[in-house]
Amino acid sequence: MTTALQNDNTAVQPLRVLLAGNPNSGKTSLFNAMTGSHHKVANYPGVTVERREGRWRGAGRDILVRDLPGTYSLLPLSPEERVARDEILGGDHDVVVVVIDATLLRRGLMFLLQVIEHGGNAVLCLNMSDEAHRAGQQIDLVWLEELLGIPVVETAAHRGEGLGELHAVLVGAKPRPRPGLSPEIAAILGGPVALADPDVARMQRLATAADAVIARTLVHAARPDARRWTRRLDAVLAHRTFGLPIFLAAMYAVFWVTFTLGAAPMDWIDAGFAGLGELVVRFWPGSPDSPLLSLVVDGIIAGVGGVVIFLPNIVLLFLCLSLLEDTGYMARAAYLMDRVLSRVGLHGKSFLPLVTGFGCSIPGIMATRTIENERDRLATMMVLPLMSCGARLPIWLLIIPALFPQAWQAPMMWGVYMFGVALALGLALLLRGTLLKGEPAPFVLELPPYRLPTAASVFGRMAERSAVYLRKAGTVILAISIVLWALSTYPRKPQYTVDAEVAAGAAHTPAEIDGMRAAEALRWSAAGRIGQAIEPLFRPLGYDWRIVTASLGAFAAKEVFVSQMSIVYALGDDGDTGDIGRRLRADYSPVTGLSLIVFLLVGTPCMATIAVTRRESGSWRWALLQFFGLTSLAYGLAFVVTSVGGLLS
Amino acid sequence: MTDGATLPNLTPALEDYLETVLRLVADTGFARVRDIADARQVRPASVSPAMRRLEELGMIRYERREYVALTDAGADAARRVYSRHRVLRRFFGQFLGLPADVAEADACTAEHSLSAATLDRLVQLFEYMEVCPEGRTHLRHFQQCARVNDGASCCTDDCPVVQDLAERKPTMSIADLRPGQSGRVRQIEGQGAIRQRLLDMGLLPDTIIELARVAPAGDPLWIKTQGFELALRRNEASSVLVEVQ
Repeated sequence: MTTALQNDNTAVQPLRVLLAGNPNSGKTSLFNAMTGSHHKVANYPGVTVERREGRWRGAGRDILVRDLPGTYSLLPLSPEERVARDEILGGDHDVVVVVIDATLLRRGLMFLLQVIEHGGNAVLCLNMSDEAHRAGQQIDLVWLEELLGIPVVETAAHRGEGLGELHAVLVGAKPRPRPGLSPEIAAILGGPVALADPDVARMQRLATAADAVIARTLVHAARPDARRWTRRLDAVLAHRTFGLPIFLAAMYAVFWVTFTLGAAPMDWIDAGFAGLGELVVRFWPGSPDSPLLSLVVDGIIAGVGGVVIFLPNIVLLFLCLSLLEDTGYMARAAYLMDRVLSRVGLHGKSFLPLVTGFGCSIPGIMATRTIENERDRLATMMVLPLMSCGARLPIWLLIIPALFPQAWQAPMMWGVYMFGVALALGLALLLRGTLLKGEPAPFVLELPPYRLPTAASVFGRMAERSAVYLRKAGTVILAISIVLWALSTYPRKPQYTVDAEVAAGAAHTPAEIDGMRAAEALRWSAAGRIGQAIEPLFRPLGYDWRIVTASLGAFAAKEVFVSQMSIVYALGDDGDTGDIGRRLRADYSPVTGLSLIVFLLVGTPCMATIAVTRRESGSWRWALLQFFGLTSLAYGLAFVVTSVGGLLS
Repeated sequence: MTDGATLPNLTPALEDYLETVLRLVADTGFARVRDIADARQVRPASVSPAMRRLEELGMIRYERREYVALTDAGADAARRVYSRHRVLRRFFGQFLGLPADVAEADACTAEHSLSAATLDRLVQLFEYMEVCPEGRTHLRHFQQCARVNDGASCCTDDCPVVQDLAERKPTMSIADLRPGQSGRVRQIEGQGAIRQRLLDMGLLPDTIIELARVAPAGDPLWIKTQGFELALRRNEASSVLVEVQ
């Protein structure tokens, strides 16, 4: 064992620390508590495993913390576990902090002993110690340090307890116990065994050693009824009959909260952007016909405003998802849903990525990394864009209220999501039966006790995810809004046909004249020309060039469909975005609306999705298959809707 | 206890006297020569030479006349003798299942006659028997056999207890348990990833598993083990064979 912990190397070099441990041991909340917001996320080279690193500033010496993926042993079963193993056994660190859920000592110690056995310079962090104490568990820490020969620190990371001591131990400010496993524990282990050998005897020796450590250090065992609240809740929430209806109701509640509570702040944001536009117009120093003013008001403010307006929905959705994750209900949902998902060849663990896909496909696709089996992972990734993402929500909120009666709106919204889910499951089955044939991966899902989520964790995660959306609005969508504004503004039409008609004596109200001028200007612009050029391709679906133009924008980013529509119409009525609905109602039938919903739900996953699929699957083949496969399917389905709808009406 | 059973210059008799003093002080708070003589069932006159010898060795000192106290070295030596005594008594009594008086008498004799190495090895065996799950199983079987067969070999197939156990506790997969029923793991049959993951989770022979509930449509299964809870698919769970509890 090296002596890196001792403060003999007090140079400016920060101490390099790895955080390792079982999944659900609270490793990540410990990492967040250590580094605050000072961390960056990158990928390990060659694999798609997240590498989270941050700096922990404190007395004595800075610490560079790296959060490893959760792992149950040093025998890897997934890319994440392989990364964790390589990091622990590799030399690029000074200390491995092994984080153990203090309420699950045996399993945690079995992992810790493997790390010690293979020469890791370890520090044991007994996390969730508050929970263990509440359950009546008491451990003799002095004895534990003596037996393991490493420093032991109790923490409750989510409440920030024990962090100071951990820092002191890491920088060597506190004296260390005698190094090396005590002889009696070492004798039980009998020396490290080749890592390629998962045999029962080896695991049994680890378990025996862990049991011996616990037997010698456990002053007071946890009360057997420590999990009684979890058991009572599970008796209802995981009930064989009631579990699924409760789960579906919970999902419905999430969408209800997202859309109903989101309505008021959306109005404020809408009013805010409209007011901002008016302010700019009022105080504009130059001529009111300036192209720059049009760029700012009609392009930037209207375009970005059309996206930011959906921030309340997205924040609320992510808030609900974070709550469900942090309480532990998500694991129950995976348990309840696994039967359905395994029928179509997916995994219970596919559930979380798929649900995340309701927020945004990109984190959803990234979350498929937790699925061990590659075929399960690819199938989940391929169908994930069918989960109606937050960026598509603005489209539904634009089309559904505009084209359907009030009473239909909520069921329609529910229906859109459910249709996407059903189609995703069907496609997954198809994929697993054809391109991705093979045995499903083992399903070993941990069901942690229910926990009261902390505000810091829930809001932190919500903020992080919402920030991704906002950043997109501030960068990609801003740029695209400008490009689309330019495409739809230039070239300018020199003179309008409607002016000639009016001059010839035709009777039009001033509003009608404005609208007709706008329509002419658009048709004349570059965007209008592209849309018109490929319009024949979409005529069987009943789409005109305006929808086609906006759909092209939707490939760049789904929500651009809305900002494009709002620019298209705002150009005609002086930035009053509230009127788009009325315009849509005038121009399109409900059948076209439904067909359009189907087309945009199923087809053309956005550029970013394609790029992430390419990265996560490791090949363009899957990314292109995803794009062309889904778009062809969308075209086919939209055609069916238009044709059937045409026959019925 | 690891650094030797015989103490320098102490005869078995002196060891016994030290032990007696330790127990008297622990029980009554003091030890007079008269009490020592009573406890050892000898005349006070024969206690005195032994006490003088112990005083010379620095093991005891006289507080007042007749009142004997242990020095630090004496207390240490006495405690070692006493713990050896306890280990042997437990071995004869609890492990071999002999009556308490037999165990006590044999412990008194054996504590002086066994070498340090033998005693150490015995202690290791006890620990193994207590800590290792296999050790515990064997010990339990041995004790049941010893009581029933009274001296006959325990490893033969005709041991009625062993046969009875085998009949009453059939081996089945956890997928065949009823919700609420638990079992002791005998074997993990599966291959590859699932087997390794289950072993990583500590699902090893002799671990107790309870089937808590099954999901809608009967799959996956929800099991409780070692203080945590897992969901497993039915066909994967069927590779875990348990002995019904």
